[in-house]
Amino acid sequence: MSLTVAFQKLSKNFGPVRVLHEVSFELAPGRVTGLLGENGAGKSTLMKILAGYETATEGGFAIDGQPLRFTSSREAEHAGVVLIHQEFNLAEDLTVAQNIFLGHERRRGWLLDDDNMNAAAREVLQQVGLTLSPTTRVRQLIVAEKQLVEIAKALSRKARLLVMDEPTATLTPTETERLFALIAQLKAQGVSIIYISHKLDEVERITDEVVVMRDGRFITRAPTASLNRHQMANLMVGRELSDLYPPKTPTPPPAAAALLQVRDFSVPGWAREVSFEVRAGEILGFAGLVGAGRTELFEGLLGLRPASGGAVTLVGRALHLRNPRDAADEGITYLSEDRKGKGLHVNFGLRQNLTLMNLAQYARPVLSPAREHAALVQAVEDFGIRTGDLQQKASALSGGNQQKLALAKVLQPQPRVVVLDEPTRGVDVGAKRDIYFLIQRLAQAGQAVIVISSELVELIGLCHRVAVMRAGRLTATLQDDMLTEEALIAHATGTR
Amino acid sequence: MPPELADSHVSPAARAAHLWGRLHGFGPVVGLLLLCLVGTLLNPDFATLDNTLNVLQRTAFIGIIAVGMCFVIISGGIDLSVGSMAALIAGCVIMVMNKAGAGMGAGPTVVALGMLVALLLGAVFGLIHGLLITKGRIEPFIVTLGTLGIFRAYLTYFADGGALTLDNALADLYSPVYYGSLLGVPFPVWMLVAVAIAGGFILNRTAYGRYVQAIGSNEQVARYAAVDVDRVKILTYMLLGLCVGIATLLYVPRLGSASPTTGLLWELEAIASVIVGGTALRGGAGSVAGTVVGAILLSVISNILNLTSIISVYLNAAVQGFVIIIVAFLQRGRR
Amino acid sequence: MSTFNRRRALGVLSLAAMLSMTFMATPASAQKKEVLGVAIPAATHSFTAGIVYWANEAKKELEKANPNLQVIVKTAANASEQANQLQDLVTVNKITSLVVFPFESAALTKPVAQVKAKGIYVTVVDRGLTDTSAQDAYVSGDNTAFGKIPAEYIAKALSGKGNIVALRGIPTTLDNERMDAFNAVLKNHPDIKLLDAKHANWNRDDAFKVTQDFLTRFKQIDAIWAADDDMAVGVLKAIEQAKRKDIKLVFGGAGAKGAIKTLIDGSNPLIQANVSYSPRFMYDAIKLTAEARLKDQKLPATTIIPSVLITKANAKDFYFPNSPF
Repeated sequence: MSLTVAFQKLSKNFGPVRVLHEVSFELAPGRVTGLLGENGAGKSTLMKILAGYETATEGGFAIDGQPLRFTSSREAEHAGVVLIHQEFNLAEDLTVAQNIFLGHERRRGWLLDDDNMNAAAREVLQQVGLTLSPTTRVRQLIVAEKQLVEIAKALSRKARLLVMDEPTATLTPTETERLFALIAQLKAQGVSIIYISHKLDEVERITDEVVVMRDGRFITRAPTASLNRHQMANLMVGRELSDLYPPKTPTPPPAAAALLQVRDFSVPGWAREVSFEVRAGEILGFAGLVGAGRTELFEGLLGLRPASGGAVTLVGRALHLRNPRDAADEGITYLSEDRKGKGLHVNFGLRQNLTLMNLAQYARPVLSPAREHAALVQAVEDFGIRTGDLQQKASALSGGNQQKLALAKVLQPQPRVVVLDEPTRGVDVGAKRDIYFLIQRLAQAGQAVIVISSELVELIGLCHRVAVMRAGRLTATLQDDMLTEEALIAHATGTR
Repeated sequence: MPPELADSHVSPAARAAHLWGRLHGFGPVVGLLLLCLVGTLLNPDFATLDNTLNVLQRTAFIGIIAVGMCFVIISGGIDLSVGSMAALIAGCVIMVMNKAGAGMGAGPTVVALGMLVALLLGAVFGLIHGLLITKGRIEPFIVTLGTLGIFRAYLTYFADGGALTLDNALADLYSPVYYGSLLGVPFPVWMLVAVAIAGGFILNRTAYGRYVQAIGSNEQVARYAAVDVDRVKILTYMLLGLCVGIATLLYVPRLGSASPTTGLLWELEAIASVIVGGTALRGGAGSVAGTVVGAILLSVISNILNLTSIISVYLNAAVQGFVIIIVAFLQRGRR
Repeated sequence: MSTFNRRRALGVLSLAAMLSMTFMATPASAQKKEVLGVAIPAATHSFTAGIVYWANEAKKELEKANPNLQVIVKTAANASEQANQLQDLVTVNKITSLVVFPFESAALTKPVAQVKAKGIYVTVVDRGLTDTSAQDAYVSGDNTAFGKIPAEYIAKALSGKGNIVALRGIPTTLDNERMDAFNAVLKNHPDIKLLDAKHANWNRDDAFKVTQDFLTRFKQIDAIWAADDDMAVGVLKAIEQAKRKDIKLVFGGAGAKGAIKTLIDGSNPLIQANVSYSPRFMYDAIKLTAEARLKDQKLPATTIIPSVLITKANAKDFYFPNSPF
């Protein structure tokens, strides 16, 4: 019943960037393995390769001693490997049962056997502790329920190796407990489980052993009992922070006047009565779990979501921002965490992307491509954007260089306050370092920088102060000695 | 660094791809040239100056509307109502001019008033579309499908189901706007050229034009990049309305009348011109020049069919369909 | 073709005879309550607008003259709406007789048959049903004469020799009937050459374009059969723009208000004659049916409202300034 998986010198390239470097390790059968690593360490990519969503560039893996190469998730599922995605893979307008059996529909002759599927779906839903009807449409579910449906779907595929990527990010404590019970039950049935999570307390509690990855490389494999949380974190980070981050400038004195001040600001459904301020020359971090409402808070501030109540003042003057245009006119710009969906026009040229936010400056009233081009040349130099051809489309750049271009774009209007949401997501280490130094330069130049990040070490290494949000509320603002990974996790999860 | 220098780093393969991309862009032009060759072979009269001017002159309405439609489609929208809108504007212009003519006598002022009404109505109708689409959050397809019916019904109502006809004296005064010419080229052709040049300029050399492309390419990204999406969209539908107004003020003097069949299916011809001209129906990028070529191409097809009798009259529409598909094939995969 | 042979065999009533019959408004019929339903297409172009106008004219006159007669007029935008209206007329309005201008022949044959099956007297106008047993009487315009009269007029005007072109409407059986009749006459005049005939969809703009191209293509044209007064408007504009002097005659058709006015005024030398195909037959059909029913009589199975030649001499009789058509 159980599977043995052995990775053998597995490497993966995305375009010019190598994200996995000759990863080799074995997974023992019938155990729960915690897979640890920072964002971008390559955990998700490795698991996607194992589950058939991606293919290895070099090397590969063997299951039960047999070298295999899945070209689709279907093949992987056939071999008993099922991945539960971090991002949901559900068709919103289909019912729960239809989603669970999507691509594996049960038939009676030419017709779908809905009764059979609904009954079977009800059974697996019960296993994950969901009492809703299998004929409910997924659109009507809340996020945690969708997560449980994803797990139920995996169960229905009769998995022998189950990969869970941050399954508890959206679950309440009760739901999390039920999931842990389910994991124990599956383990007893002989199912191997790979558990990816940033919540080290969970890893400590439910895994038998841990595998640590860093920068696309396998670092170590050890029994969970042999490590404490601090050691796990050290293994994940694994480098002197000073290598990666610029030396911090002195924190602006608390007495210094706030540049941007937010009081009791709410975004219905996401953020409640959040208050914070940021001074000129300061880097303010925002930490929190997925769904804590950080992104939504700032989208609300920029007028991208309906907000209610609260006061926003810029240098003492009240602001009413109806949309990002108003915000940009006031000197506040925002870099979205969703680069392809909200950050860049991947089908546009570099020049057109760069100047979009302050196009008026290049149009008086006739656009001057020559001046736009000069700005691009300047930005390529300032931001270290590596590109052979200045005429190509943004889609031709690597992820890190796309991110630098997106940064250059939101900085084009020379904002006084810039909000960077996950500025290093999906970026390799070299580019990360460039971005950190760039953020430092902005602060030195007197801009206020707000960094939203899920990488705690990044926040600690970069920010003067870090605000922590949990379930829509700002729970703490940490600085100096108080700014530690444990403290951030504690405030983010509410365990303190 | 001038672009030439930047280009010098490009590999030969990339340059070949670039060239091929450009060639694809000429799909409509190649199609038009081939069609003209066929036309000349079938009937020597095809290539005469008179026929060329005839074709261009009758293309003017669709061509001018298509330039506006080009902006709407690039922005990711659609307007199905332009034919009905043109008919209603034509009807209103005629009614206003007849009334004003009866009051103050037929004079150039009345004609100018009529033309002003055409432009004004076009802009107002466009504004209504824009507001319903942006502030009302209704799909453009549905909004303009609704007004498609509304506009034509009101014209039919005003015309009592018959035709609205411009008073003779006014018609004579107004007719040079369609039939007159400058340097041997009819006014509508000049107007088409002017609208096309202005359109190309606005699309490629103004911030507004860039915003239109940005919205069509990815509305979310544009919104996050501080583009005032609603304002740009409203302006886009107003621009199209204005183009319909211009087309109508040229149309009215041609027959001096508006009837429920005026402007029938113009919306499809305008949309076809835009798409044949190389603009993607999903928006994001497109070409005004290509659009005008597309419009000319469509009227050349029917011109050639009228100039020959080799194909059964029942198959005329099929020929047009074949040519549209072939040209679309020639310029596929440009993006 | 068998249809119009039969129509002829069944006898063509003269317009005058028919009208005299209808105008004998009758005191004898005063006892019976008669509800007459009228189902017609909505006014989407000038011809159907004329249909609606004349139907309402008939209603006004008849109801005024006969207190125990009620006329209910329903207009439909498409065939299925008309079918629904027929049901409503039967069940809700409890009509005793029906005059219907079918939106489409085939689609409405069954619905009309159902009305007749309820014992309601049915008169069908203009567009014949595919199954004639679904109707009691049939009243229509004369499409054969619509093509024959212009052909004869043109042949005579050109003294049997010359080049002509023709415009056609929307491809339909109606259009084919007219064109066939036109061609049949031309067979007797071998020296008249029909250069080409293209569809311009009874649309002024299309007619303008088609004529422009005819003028480019043919250097000598003596007459144009525009086949419709709307299309004639476009034809005349195209000729005017091309400044062509060779064309001596443009023959429209249907006797629209504007075209008749031109004829009366003699304001365009190219317009010398027209042929009637007036939506007024709707008025006649309603009137004939109502009068007959009130007297418990039947209409002849087929009544053809003849299309007649209109010239300056008799144009006044065909001029109805209040009608939209």
